[in-house]
Amino acid sequence: MSVNKELLERYHLDACSVEECREIEEWLFNNEGNELKLAAGADKKALKSDIWKNIQSDLPEEPQVTKARSNSYYMWKGAIAASIFFFLSGTIVYSLHPSKIAIVNLNNNSAAQVRQVSSGGYNVAVGPNTTASIDDEMHVIDLNGSLLISTEKDVELVFEGTGKKVNFKKGQTYIILKNREGAKDIIMVNKENLLDLPPIMQRQINTHFDI
Amino acid sequence: MFYNIKSYALFVYLLLIAALINGCGPDQKDKKLPAKYSIYVLAKDGKNYLLQYNTLDSGVLKPTTDGIALDTLKMGRSLIVSNHCYYYLNSKTALFSKYKVVGATLKVISALPVKDFTIENFTWLKGDTLLLTGLNLPGYNRAEYMLVNTALMKVIKRGFLNIPGPTGHFETMSLGFTEKRGNSLLIGHTYHASQDIYNFGTSDTLYVSELRYPEMELVSISKDTRSTYPGGQNTVQSYSSRDENGNYYFISCPGIALGNRPELPSAIFSIKKGAVAPDKNYFFNLSASKIQNHVYGMWSLTANKVIVRTERKDLFKGLNDHYKTAHFEYYVLDLKTKAIQKLDLPLDRGTRKQCVIVQGNVAYIAISSAKDGNYIWKYTIADGVLKRGLRLTDDTDFILRIDTLGK
Repeated sequence: MSVNKELLERYHLDACSVEECREIEEWLFNNEGNELKLAAGADKKALKSDIWKNIQSDLPEEPQVTKARSNSYYMWKGAIAASIFFFLSGTIVYSLHPSKIAIVNLNNNSAAQVRQVSSGGYNVAVGPNTTASIDDEMHVIDLNGSLLISTEKDVELVFEGTGKKVNFKKGQTYIILKNREGAKDIIMVNKENLLDLPPIMQRQINTHFDI
Repeated sequence: MFYNIKSYALFVYLLLIAALINGCGPDQKDKKLPAKYSIYVLAKDGKNYLLQYNTLDSGVLKPTTDGIALDTLKMGRSLIVSNHCYYYLNSKTALFSKYKVVGATLKVISALPVKDFTIENFTWLKGDTLLLTGLNLPGYNRAEYMLVNTALMKVIKRGFLNIPGPTGHFETMSLGFTEKRGNSLLIGHTYHASQDIYNFGTSDTLYVSELRYPEMELVSISKDTRSTYPGGQNTVQSYSSRDENGNYYFISCPGIALGNRPELPSAIFSIKKGAVAPDKNYFFNLSASKIQNHVYGMWSLTANKVIVRTERKDLFKGLNDHYKTAHFEYYVLDLKTKAIQKLDLPLDRGTRKQCVIVQGNVAYIAISSAKDGNYIWKYTIADGVLKRGLRLTDDTDFILRIDTLGK
């Protein structure tokens, strides 16, 4: 008697005789037992792979193997984390209190041309004959001339020596004009309100900044 | 669907909020009615919105959701609105474009190349013929005109207006009004000198040139030194009126926000029917009246009455806050009797706005108040009753224009 597919099926259905059961069990637990006889044309490798796939889908996921860590591992881990923490803290403190003052220089000596400056989150068209700077640490703007300015974040600046505050909303464009001392002579308008300025002034602003 | 009672409660709460928000907008019934009015808003988010609605008497509109966000690199508020279309000259792209709202978008119907020209005034002649008078770019020192057939979007004619350019220390000029009378064209103008971007001045004289139409040849020039800066760009705001007898009225605007000759008075001038120069015997000095301030903007109300928009010099500090401080008042003036009646409206914001529409017995006035929000006010001319009408929600910064969409 040899073990074949039909016999195995009957074994699983508890339909085998005592004799048959003994033979099958002997075959199952004996590494040197007879080979399983396959139906004609069946590929042994393909069949193996099919069986393995079926079994795999029913198996629970392989649990994560946790390797035992040595004491030195935990020591180094702590040291590295502390180093990263101190490095990041230092970077943040440095960026908040840089050793060099963050000043955006906005000077334009040209009598006719506008100078484009993109620096420190400020996008500025500096009007002709303009001297200006923004101290980003002290939140101060100094201006003698004209600027077309937009910022990458909401910013509040104070005009140097005046106490007059100006607020820039992120993404909006403003025109600032100032040519004498004192807050009274500062004109700042959102570009969208340009038509509210006197037309003669608008014409010059349009020509200046090529709006 | 809901894991616990809390998530279910949150869902119901959000549904209620959504229903409430939707309830603030125009209802479906109103939205389906054809739009009669156009409202141009500058919102607090810094964007320009165009809205169309079927009434100004009531309702609520939220520009950021009910309006069409405009690309101001293409189109701005210095518009000509007629027969459901918007006309705009973009100096940067050198295109004069015709727009129309289709569904929820603003569509370009057609565009004309118009190089080196800026519009100072527009006047509708016969039917679809539009006369644009303006100046050369970038000089602003030569008067030019363009006749456009707006139905075909074709330039009929473009040329120079035979008006003297600036001389002496004057470098640029302004055209303040254009009035066609038979075979004559009357154009109000003045001249400017600028030391720099901050300091500019206007001649102490206003001029009215009479040109032969259609040749545009100069026939006569009258000078008037009672005030200066006649009218203004009527694509941005109205500055003139006609009475029942065909007499023409225009306002002079020498205040700091236009002519910058504040020592001269804001006044109404008249050009009688058949005349070609301001009437020497008519001068309605508004700065010397109980208004006591400079005036910007004038709209026809009835046959003999106008509405004017006036500043309050005690409430603003200078050009920096002139447009954003609430200080503008409205008055009804009788051009014949010179009676002056102040309208009981909240103080308005915005230096130049096309904010008055008159239809029959009603005037609609768009007010952007600092305390009272943004409303279109309804003024009944017969009994003088003022009521709040359509509200624009608080995301509105300025109502910059209201226009009728019909012809």
